[in-house]
Amino acid sequence: MAAAPPSRALGGITGNATALRVTAGILIVMAFVPLLHSGYYENLGRSVLMFATLSLGWNIIGGYAGYVSFGNVVFFGLGSYVTAALWQHWHQQSIVLAILCAMVVGVAFALVLGMPILRLRGHYFGIATLGIALATQEIVSNIDWLGAGSGLTVRPVDAYSTYYYAMWIVCAASMLATYLIARSKLGYAFVAIRENEEAAAVLGVDPTRYKVVAWAISAAMAAAAGAVFAGANGFMDPPTAFALDNNVFPIVMAILGGVGTVAGPLVGALILTAINETLWSHFPQIHTLFFGAVIVVVVVFLPRGLLWLFNTRGGWKGIVGSLGAYRV
Amino acid sequence: MSEAFLSIQNVAMHFGGLRALDDVSFDVERGSVLGLIGPNGSGKTTLMNIVSGVYKPTHGSVYFNGKRIADVPTYAVCRLGIARTFQVVKPFANLSVRENVAVGAMYGRNGSKRNAAASFERAQELLEIVGLARVADRHASDLTIPDRKRLEVAKALALDPEVLLLDEVMAGLNATEVDEALELLRTVNARGVTLIVVEHLMKAIVSISTAIVVLAEGQKIAEGAPAEVLASPRVIEAYLGTRYAERQRQRQAQS
Repeated sequence: MAAAPPSRALGGITGNATALRVTAGILIVMAFVPLLHSGYYENLGRSVLMFATLSLGWNIIGGYAGYVSFGNVVFFGLGSYVTAALWQHWHQQSIVLAILCAMVVGVAFALVLGMPILRLRGHYFGIATLGIALATQEIVSNIDWLGAGSGLTVRPVDAYSTYYYAMWIVCAASMLATYLIARSKLGYAFVAIRENEEAAAVLGVDPTRYKVVAWAISAAMAAAAGAVFAGANGFMDPPTAFALDNNVFPIVMAILGGVGTVAGPLVGALILTAINETLWSHFPQIHTLFFGAVIVVVVVFLPRGLLWLFNTRGGWKGIVGSLGAYRV
Repeated sequence: MSEAFLSIQNVAMHFGGLRALDDVSFDVERGSVLGLIGPNGSGKTTLMNIVSGVYKPTHGSVYFNGKRIADVPTYAVCRLGIARTFQVVKPFANLSVRENVAVGAMYGRNGSKRNAAASFERAQELLEIVGLARVADRHASDLTIPDRKRLEVAKALALDPEVLLLDEVMAGLNATEVDEALELLRTVNARGVTLIVVEHLMKAIVSISTAIVVLAEGQKIAEGAPAEVLASPRVIEAYLGTRYAERQRQRQAQS
């Protein structure tokens, strides 16, 4: 993703201000979805919010710090198991408690893993994260206390829409956190590492430290989403908690919307969920093929996402530039 | 332990069988401008990398204000007050010129005292000093070569350094641009920043340096005031070549 983008952000690292306002508006409108009293739209909306949160989390380490993680589903999975374990072993149903515990577990796991693997650069880090995602699923599958391969049940709270609102709050908080980070010194430390790690170190940025911080923030967001998801889903087993989709979709969404922007992940989550849903209902057999094609088209023509079209530089010329770069 | 402000003591750097630096020692006085010269491959950039903490020397050490800095990581060296520019410029391509400089102001020696807004203000001040205020909002990747060199200097200055290592900031500049660069370095030095200047341009080095160290094949072959160092037969032979030696003789004959 760091490879020679034709279009670029200018003036700040939050991304296009108008796109951000529009996206924040969409998020606010989404708070009212449960008032439709439609189980379908509520589930769909909660799915968008969940993927947006996962994508926002990935965007901190992958988009801002430039370290492409293929293992963020680990934190989502651990977060969801926190909710399941709290119910199974202590009969705790509190969503707030689950979210807080999940974030603590996610951050602790990110810190312990981050110290060694964030010393790796570029692709090596990506491969290590993928290994961790697969290994963690296997380990959880063998822990009886977590239900091993057969999983754990969670009794959902009585007012089911509570999970929608909880996911909305987690998503909104993640987006607000990203916005505040992108306007702070912390955000510039991440971006400096993405742009040139050696040059960042010479300017006083401790690369390992800030990469670990980025991954921990990333983990907190994913774990919180997992905690809410587990309650709403009512059941947790390793394939559900560590689903490949939950690993891949958020990355594609961030790329589609715009990596290293505040609004990008939600925009990507909305569009991709809509496309996925439409294709699924109309072309169930070849839905995956279409979905793959969408990913290829996005990566080739919009390597930095839709939101980058609104920048003063690049814009539509960026698409033409991509065409040239790929000799299409 | 040394009394000197910045002291390079018996520094050696070996890359496998290659001895890039061999037992190099010299001191740098506070407030001075040290010219570091030598033919290509003589170890100048390697020495810069050691002083700025990018490389750990094979032998020897560097002392700054009496503190041993050979084992201090790169990011911490700049917080002690040693900043550098890169021979091959390394701007953050997707950030604006002002943002590039602000990162230094955020994480340099006085970075912990500044919030983001104060860092941007400091960046703007520095851009005015180096003459880049007119392009503050442009992308670093849009800059011309001379402006990229200025940006390197501004980023280094944003760290509020006591010592600034300049690795060929004048390479590739035309005569007017070199004069402008020298003017900038004098301004910086006048503000109390000690400079170590690596450069190939003799005229530039002689006009700005208060002392010169000459490296050849990883060893220090001369050290002293610019005029006497350049008059040294060994330096003329190793570095300046016969043509310069002739001109030097002619000049001496005239005066």
